[in-house]
Amino acid sequence: MQYINAYLNEISRRLPRKNRDDIIEEIRSILMDMIETHNPGADPDEATIKAVLNEFGPPKKVAQQYVSYKPLIGPDLFSIYLLVLKVVLTVITILNFAGVIVGLVNGAFRETGLFTVVVDQFFSLCGSLINVFGIVTLIFVLFERFVPEKFKREISDEWSPDDLNLVEDKMRVSIPELVIEIIFEIIFIVFFNFYLDKIGIYSQSEAGWVMMPIFNENILRYIPWLTAIIVLNTGINLYLIRQGIWNRAAGMAKIVINVLKIAVFAAIILGPPLLIIGPESWPTLSHELGITDQQFTQYMNLGLNIILGLAIFGFSVDTVKHLWRNFIKKDRTSMEIATQ
Amino acid sequence: MTETPIHEHSQNLVQELRRGVIVLAALSQLHEEQYGYSLMTQLEERGLQIDQGTLYPLLRRLEDQNLLQSDWRVETSRPRRYYVLSETGKKVLQEMTVEWSRIKNTIDNLLFKN
Repeated sequence: MQYINAYLNEISRRLPRKNRDDIIEEIRSILMDMIETHNPGADPDEATIKAVLNEFGPPKKVAQQYVSYKPLIGPDLFSIYLLVLKVVLTVITILNFAGVIVGLVNGAFRETGLFTVVVDQFFSLCGSLINVFGIVTLIFVLFERFVPEKFKREISDEWSPDDLNLVEDKMRVSIPELVIEIIFEIIFIVFFNFYLDKIGIYSQSEAGWVMMPIFNENILRYIPWLTAIIVLNTGINLYLIRQGIWNRAAGMAKIVINVLKIAVFAAIILGPPLLIIGPESWPTLSHELGITDQQFTQYMNLGLNIILGLAIFGFSVDTVKHLWRNFIKKDRTSMEIATQ
Repeated sequence: MTETPIHEHSQNLVQELRRGVIVLAALSQLHEEQYGYSLMTQLEERGLQIDQGTLYPLLRRLEDQNLLQSDWRVETSRPRRYYVLSETGKKVLQEMTVEWSRIKNTIDNLLFKN
């Protein structure tokens, strides 16, 4: 009996609490049946018991058969989980880098030294990524546990053949992206054409909110160009939303616009600085920052140039993408078709 | 990477094949109530070898799915858990039996009438 009890204990501790006793009692009764068959009538000897336990199998394996494993995040939610993780982790990484760049431009790290800053930021980024990974996972695990099956299936399974993407994915227009782009374009046009004098640094003083303009008159020569380019771009974006897919004409138009944007941005970088904080508005800020107005102006312009530089890089990448899509890749496929 | 030996392949596939029919086999023997070990020996006597570790948990799962009902009873010397088909179980068994003969015929045709 000792052997049987020990065997059942081994199984028991691996079973979920819920049916544990019941399952153990059933296995005990089956084991007794088996022993009786092996050794009818008599008191079982040790060898018989061992043979029966051997036949029944390793306790770990027996227990496993009784436990139904439920995944933390099931197949219905898994793809959405991955998508959310990707988006959230990317956004956090980008924000972190942006924070570092802004800090560097503003000279906030000068005392600690660049190396320390980079190491610090790297570890803090790793920390936040792990944190967010945990939080997102936890939310999905809770969702998996407490949201009814039916609803989960609805969000992952609603499907009909009409949903199939007949157009090649890469040629399909991303409408949310375009809408966001258009919103920013409109905001830009409105502000730079009608409210240029309202753009500046706002700070609160005894006299209420005070605005220090940050653009000097150099900006004026670029505004007509920028406005024209943006209006053109908005027009193409509206056309794309209506069409739903990219075509060669739209691709060419985007290339032209990108070239124009690159030209204007390069002109701004190479031309006289656009941003200025005048000495007359400086006293309200200087005691908080501990630098002179010229230094601050310099940093602001450096920051602007970096942003414009990044934008030029982005436009170049986008141009190459359109060139590839509309000319190189297309020619290749048509050549392949022709040779077949 | 070493190649899996043929008999290991077939062993795995045979196991998979059996797993599919064990439910049908178990249900078919439960028109009258049986306890775990008696069902096991009965299936064995009729030619179906089932792993102990598979059959008993399966009976519980079938009960969870309302295909079987069970209760503890003391018939001879010790208590045993007896299982029998529920009403739902009977209907499901009927449908599975029809489906089984259909599958059997189809596969027989595929395998032997060439």
